[in-house]
Amino acid sequence: MSVLLQAILNGVMTGTLIAVPAIGFTAIFAVLRYPSFAIAAYVTVGGFAGWFANSLWGAGVLPALAIAFLVAGAAGVATEEGALRRLRPAGALTVAIATIAANLILENVTRFLFGNDLRGYDLPLRPDLRFADLRIGPQQIENVLLAILVMAAVFAFLRFTRYGKAMRAVADNIDLARLKGIDPQRVAVTTLFLGAGLAGVGGVLLAVDTSIDPLAGARILLTVFAAAVLGGLGSIPGAVVGAFAVGIAEELSLLAVPATYRSAIGFAAILLMLTFRPRGILGERAS
Amino acid sequence: MSVLAVEALVAGYGAAEEILKGASLHVEPGEIVSIIGPNGAGKSTFLKAVAGLLQPRAGTIRFAGTDVTRRDPQGRARAGISFVPQERNVFGSLTVAENLEISGYLDPAGAQGRAARLYERYPVLAEKRHALARTLSGGQRQILAMAMGLMTEPKLMLLDEPTAGLSPKAADDLFDAVVNLNRGGLPILMVEQHAVEALAVSTRGYVFVAGRESAEGAGPALASDPEIRRLFLGG
Repeated sequence: MSVLLQAILNGVMTGTLIAVPAIGFTAIFAVLRYPSFAIAAYVTVGGFAGWFANSLWGAGVLPALAIAFLVAGAAGVATEEGALRRLRPAGALTVAIATIAANLILENVTRFLFGNDLRGYDLPLRPDLRFADLRIGPQQIENVLLAILVMAAVFAFLRFTRYGKAMRAVADNIDLARLKGIDPQRVAVTTLFLGAGLAGVGGVLLAVDTSIDPLAGARILLTVFAAAVLGGLGSIPGAVVGAFAVGIAEELSLLAVPATYRSAIGFAAILLMLTFRPRGILGERAS
Repeated sequence: MSVLAVEALVAGYGAAEEILKGASLHVEPGEIVSIIGPNGAGKSTFLKAVAGLLQPRAGTIRFAGTDVTRRDPQGRARAGISFVPQERNVFGSLTVAENLEISGYLDPAGAQGRAARLYERYPVLAEKRHALARTLSGGQRQILAMAMGLMTEPKLMLLDEPTAGLSPKAADDLFDAVVNLNRGGLPILMVEQHAVEALAVSTRGYVFVAGRESAEGAGPALASDPEIRRLFLGG
């Protein structure tokens, strides 16, 4: 019983960490209408930006998150403006393929700058907390709280600010948004900054939880993608629900199958969803 | 000076054959002008081109004396053209209040006051303020779409089949709403399937055939022209 509870607890932890980049991925899809696989590189870039600030200036988790958000957001905008934007007329598939290329380039830039080693953040070590048979690290609790805080900020931005509403309007109906005087290109840039920045925040949370290396983002890409598809591509609450579902499913799978099959859960989730409910749990349209 | 003066407009979609083949039309201050005609005559395409959603290949669009032919839709909205499309004319995933607010994007300072006046004019919107727009009935959605079009303080309204899919009662209400708007001095250019009703409330009307205007006249006169009745009005 406690094994099961521990797995669910771990799944909730994983889910919260996955939810942040998954929101970024689904937001970019909602506004720009292509899946950006470069989200993996933005996770890595953010993780390293935070690590750099932490090891060089002794920055704590909060300032590291802020720096990661800005650096990864800037990387996202630079990638879009420097390369992807020109490919948009060729269609979503072309841009999606180009994001895979952009992902490889960014990943290797971080490898060139920081090397292949696993890097850990320099933070005080604290013993795990125990509740009956369950174990949980204080840093994990902090991560979950930070992730929830970030998500609350994103929801508030989308719900209450003029820019957030413009973003939802463009995601809903781009032609109508233009008729109301909203410039979709400006909204696209904002969305990319936000989406890539959130991936960077996810990178720091991930790195604080374990460590960071140039492949850190690529390792969680499938899980992030599965979370977004499961929840319904383009739906932000859906990405959160999807992230918890995939996170818990992955951890539960460890009770039954060897850890090497863990990533198969993501594939299985995508396959099942696309077969039985292509628009996802909270998605509004099949696209 | 005409509010809108369109000369020899040519436009179409992609590489396909042109839909508009030299269409011309003008709207004078205070007028309601209707465009009627068979399906495929290019009526909706004409409105899209005037709103900027479709870039014309030839011809000019002058709005209040200024050439706006090359402007994007945002630029034309800023100039004072407000287009209410026939379909997908509200943001379904936003609430009624958010739809109105985002439609006042160009002038956020004045948006609240204008929304308050629109709630007063269309009480059904005030009732449904917090409902998602996609949950509205057809008539309610059409009213919301029109109210959204008014949030930009337009100098010209373009309405694409505002009564499409509405019950006869809702359609009558909508024509009343259009006439009321026009009484305030707002010029309106609309495309309508309900040709008789539309011409009855219009100052002037145009009959579009095969991508250009083939007849023009005062609204009621056009509605009673035997040749036009025979061809388009089913009588």
